[in-house]
Amino acid sequence: MKDYRIVFEKTGLMRYISHLDLNRCMIRSIRRSGLPAWYTEGFHPHMYLMFPLALSLGAESLCEMMDIRLTEEVPEEEILERLNAALPVGLHATQVREPKNVTQDIGSAVYTVELAGDDLPAVWERFLIQPEILVEKKTKKGMKTVDIRPQITCEAAEPIPDGIRLTLRLPAGNEGNLNVSVVTDALSAFAEAPVQVKNVCRITIFCVNGEVFS
Amino acid sequence: MLKEQIERHLLEVQRPSRYCGGEVGQIVKDKSKVDVRFAFCFPDIYDVGMSHLGMKILYSLINERENYWCERVFAPWQDMEEVMQREGIPLYALESMDPVGEFDFVGFTLQYEMSFTTILHMLDMAHIPVRQCDRGEHIAPMVVAGGPCCCNPEPLADFFDLFILGEGEEVNLELMDLYKEMRDAGATRSEFLRAAAKLPGIYVPSLYDVTYHEDGTVQAVTPKDGAPAIVTKRVMTDMDKSYYPKQVVVPFIEIVHDRVSVEVLRGCIRGCRFCQAGFLYRPFREKSADTICAQGKALCDNSGYDELSLSSLSTSDHSQIEAVLDQLLEYTADRHINLSLPSLRVDNFSKSVLDKITTVRKSGLTFAPEAGTQRLRDVINKNVTEDELMRTCRIAFEGGYTTVKLYFMMGLPTETDEDIIGIADTAQKVVNLFYDMPDRAKGKLQVSISTATFVPKPFTPFEFEPQAEKAEILRKQDVLRRAIKSKKIKASMHISDISQMEAALARGDRRLGAVLYDVWKDGGRLDSWDEFFKAERWYAAFEKNGLDPAFYANRTRPYDEVMPWDHIDYMVSKAFLIRENEKAHAGIPTPPCREKCSGCGANKCLGRACFPEVTA
Repeated sequence: MKDYRIVFEKTGLMRYISHLDLNRCMIRSIRRSGLPAWYTEGFHPHMYLMFPLALSLGAESLCEMMDIRLTEEVPEEEILERLNAALPVGLHATQVREPKNVTQDIGSAVYTVELAGDDLPAVWERFLIQPEILVEKKTKKGMKTVDIRPQITCEAAEPIPDGIRLTLRLPAGNEGNLNVSVVTDALSAFAEAPVQVKNVCRITIFCVNGEVFS
Repeated sequence: MLKEQIERHLLEVQRPSRYCGGEVGQIVKDKSKVDVRFAFCFPDIYDVGMSHLGMKILYSLINERENYWCERVFAPWQDMEEVMQREGIPLYALESMDPVGEFDFVGFTLQYEMSFTTILHMLDMAHIPVRQCDRGEHIAPMVVAGGPCCCNPEPLADFFDLFILGEGEEVNLELMDLYKEMRDAGATRSEFLRAAAKLPGIYVPSLYDVTYHEDGTVQAVTPKDGAPAIVTKRVMTDMDKSYYPKQVVVPFIEIVHDRVSVEVLRGCIRGCRFCQAGFLYRPFREKSADTICAQGKALCDNSGYDELSLSSLSTSDHSQIEAVLDQLLEYTADRHINLSLPSLRVDNFSKSVLDKITTVRKSGLTFAPEAGTQRLRDVINKNVTEDELMRTCRIAFEGGYTTVKLYFMMGLPTETDEDIIGIADTAQKVVNLFYDMPDRAKGKLQVSISTATFVPKPFTPFEFEPQAEKAEILRKQDVLRRAIKSKKIKASMHISDISQMEAALARGDRRLGAVLYDVWKDGGRLDSWDEFFKAERWYAAFEKNGLDPAFYANRTRPYDEVMPWDHIDYMVSKAFLIRENEKAHAGIPTPPCREKCSGCGANKCLGRACFPEVTA
């Protein structure tokens, strides 16, 4: 029995596959690949599969992670090859490695966000210098107002033909998550003009201690 | 490009992967190298249509031909439809994302009557003239249909260029070959249709004139331009040689029947007199155990699915069912694949079959006694006795099952209140059986009764029968409710005006085309969904056209009446249907085909008896 962490890309049409559907798709892909997947014991055995950090519907990613457990050791190149042959277009495994960090280590994630709209570079600047950015958040106890400004780290902002490309670091993991759409919705409200989200792509997952999650 | 335009809006809708394709198993071709493009349209949403076996067979079959390309098209759910209307996105096919209007063939499958308005709507969304007569002489697109409701295509005659009767494995390709040849030679729409009408199994409604008596019944259906007087359905005579796919399109979202299935047999030996499928799909033909196993393994290996269903109208009637299960279990057991047998019968459900399916999964059991008394079961020829039902329930309870679902119909011919009370009594006996068992399983017993309104259908011995009126069904539901004494019995009794409309369309004539058109114009679509069906819309459309749904649904038809579908031949003879109807009223059952041939006539396509060892 051996655990492997698969790093994979989720791009193109695969943006529209929800986390639950991705899980099912991966199970079927592993079954098609013929890799010796380990199944849980018990009344309803199921394939052992673990995703340390879910991705929201609509976002692409270059750094998705999935842990699988095989009943025997298989060379890493072989896992990559067999899995990629079975995956649909838009899902592509790039690395196989031994899991080092655990889910609880995850602290933040970095995204590139491409937005289209009028005068966005200036609007973004004004948006970000606000002392606080209040949004309504749905919690178990009902609606709650939170200030998301301290949670947003803008690592880069560059103009593109009809808008702006941002590189944002947002909290992720057990200690709290901030979805990109919360930021873009707040920006839309602030801009008082339509802001179109052209693309969101997760590029790196970081641990709380600042190291890259691996 | 349409593809980008669609993608821009996908996050505005629920389950966006219904609308963008990209699944494993989908077939994408270079359209510049394709001669004929076929848009296979299912007139319901993705989740329903993707579960349909016929589509999987024909999709793969057409795509095996290098120069033909078959793609999938489904009706959008309301949220996506709003986006498409607002953004001016036409109906498109999932593989290429090209507009359906650009295809050579736009083919619908007719699985249930209440999907008819969705067909009109999908044609309109594809910017194809809804009425056939408005399509002009250009040969494309050819709007065609296949599937069980083609047995009475008359209510849809105004909207289709042609109907494909019976099994499509051969005739679909013959039709596409003819189309390619004639299109390349510059043929017009009507020239092609006249030629297509000469292919066995192709019915071109515009080549037939229908006249009516003053009382509204059909007087005559007259062919013209050399069209045959009778069009006979197509049948695959050898199921082992018949095409079956090795791969399916594997959806991302969970669909209604989320599993691969091997069709183990076609037809049915039972002859239940209410069951249209049991007559439409005759004669009975089995696949061999080896074929079933090879097909099942290929599908599981290629798709990655972990559930394999052995499907047919009555899987336990396969003569080798135990051998099939044994052979398949060798493969499935250590691969974590569940076997499911969706249509087991009460009378030949054996302990060993149950053990075989429960080695993998245990869930509730469903039986369909259909009627509450032996007398009525004899009338409808559901040859199941109460003893058999009790014996099966005992096996199930011994096997650890504690939920039993029982399906019944209401409004059957000759039904009395005694038969209705019999439904409650049957359920009560199942409850008593459970509590009388000393070694019964732990857990809470639940017996659910579900009743549906009987809908008389063409090509059944009950095609002459009236459907019960709504008020009568409501009264009978009340009788049943009062007859249930135990809290262990849960009854769900559904009533809707849908079943009267279904009955009217099932046995309707060409004049219903105007009704369908008006219902659609008034906003009707996805009418098989309770949330979209509006009875007022349908009644208004009937009234506007001077027609009465009761004339079609609730009237007894004499044996000598010309039925709107009398020029369509599904191989079971009218004489047989009349004979069976008379036996029904006399309460005489007919034995299954394997015991005694009842002479329905369907074996004529085989050129032999269905069961050589059985005599008539």
